[in-house]
Amino acid sequence: MSRQWARLPERGHPLALRLICWIALHVGRSAGRVLLYPITLYFLATATAARRSSRRYLRRALGREPGWRELFRHIHCFAATILDRVYFLTGRLEQFEIEIFGGQRILDQAASGRGCILLGSHLGSFDALRALGVSLRHLPIKILMNTTHNRAMTQLLDALNPTLAQTIIPIGAPDTLLKVQESLEQGDMIGALGDRVARGEKTVRCRFLGQETALPIGPLLLAALMNCPVILCFGLYRGGNRYAIHFEPLAERIVLDRRQRREQLGVWVQRYADRLAHYARLAPYNWFNFYDYWEEDGS
Amino acid sequence: MDVLSPFELEMARLLVETLHLEDISPEEIAPEEPLFGEGLGLDSIDALELALAISKTYGFQLRSDDKENRRVFASLRALSAHVAQCRTR
Repeated sequence: MSRQWARLPERGHPLALRLICWIALHVGRSAGRVLLYPITLYFLATATAARRSSRRYLRRALGREPGWRELFRHIHCFAATILDRVYFLTGRLEQFEIEIFGGQRILDQAASGRGCILLGSHLGSFDALRALGVSLRHLPIKILMNTTHNRAMTQLLDALNPTLAQTIIPIGAPDTLLKVQESLEQGDMIGALGDRVARGEKTVRCRFLGQETALPIGPLLLAALMNCPVILCFGLYRGGNRYAIHFEPLAERIVLDRRQRREQLGVWVQRYADRLAHYARLAPYNWFNFYDYWEEDGS
Repeated sequence: MDVLSPFELEMARLLVETLHLEDISPEEIAPEEPLFGEGLGLDSIDALELALAISKTYGFQLRSDDKENRRVFASLRALSAHVAQCRTR
C-alpha cells in the first residue's frame, strides 16, 4: 500500500470537518444529515484524487465499474460517519441502533483479565466501537494512533471527550510500545488499525480485493512478541441510524519461528486482509482510505 | 573511528542478534549514532524486542514512564551506559 496518505494535505478536511462538527453540535443529527448532501456534492466535484481512489476501490469491491451514484454514496457514507463520530464521542448513543456480532468474545476476553490486540481498520467507524466499549461497557480499551498526521481532526475530536482522548497512545516515540507492553500486562485491550502503513513501518506484500499491496506487520508482530490474542473488529455503518459491530478472533496466539518470521507474519497479515476484504464487500461504502491504496500511480 | 568498549560491543551483539540486522556487524555500529529514525533506522517495535531481550539477559525492564528514555534510546553508548547501571545480572 502506498504511504501517500501521510503526505496528503488533508484536502478539505479541517474545514469540512469543523463544519460537520459544528452542525452536529448546534443543528442536530436530522438537519445535519440533510446538509451532508451539499457537502458531499461539493467534495465529489472538487476532490479529484479522492474521487479517483474511490472509483478504483469500488471497482474492486463491487466487481464492476461504479457510476456517479455509487461514488456519491461512498463519499456520503464517509461524511455521515464523521457526523456520527461527534455523537459517539460525546456519548449520545441512545439515538443509534447498534447491532453487535461476536460481542461475547470481547466480554470473555475482558473477564479473563488478559490483554489482547483489537485489530481494526479504516473500514467503517472505529469510534462507534470505541465509544460503545469504553463509555457504555467500561472496557479497558486503549488505542494506538498516529496523532501527528491528522492534527486538526485529532484536536477537535479530543476536545469533545477528554476522557476518551486519554485512552489514546500516540505512535512515534521509541518507547511507544513499552507503554503498550505495560498496558497489555495490566489486561488492557489495545486497539490498532492494520490497514495503513506509517512512515518507515515494516510491511509485507499481500493480496487485498484481488490486487497486491503492502500492509503493515506491526500489530501482528506486537501480538506475537506479547503472546496475546488478536481479535478483529469492524464498526460498519449500515445507513440511517444503524451500525453493526463485528468481532471475530483472528489468532489465540501467534507463534513465530525466528528464521521464517516474515513469511509466517505474511500468512497472518493475509488472513487479516481476507477478512477485511470480506467486510469491505459486505459494506462497500465504508472504506475510508481515500488515496492510491494499490500504488497504481507509480512513484 | 570511535572504538566500542567491551560492554558496548556486547550490547551491539545483542542488538544485531535480536533484531536480525543483516547489513551491519556489531563492530560496525557507531556508538554515538542515533539508533532510531535516522542512523540505524530502528523503530518502536524494534525497541520493544530489544527491551524484551535486555530484560531476559540483564534482568530489568525498561519502562515507558522513564523520562530519560529519549536519552537512553539515543545511541548505543547511551543505551549501554543505562543497561550497565540498571542490570541485576
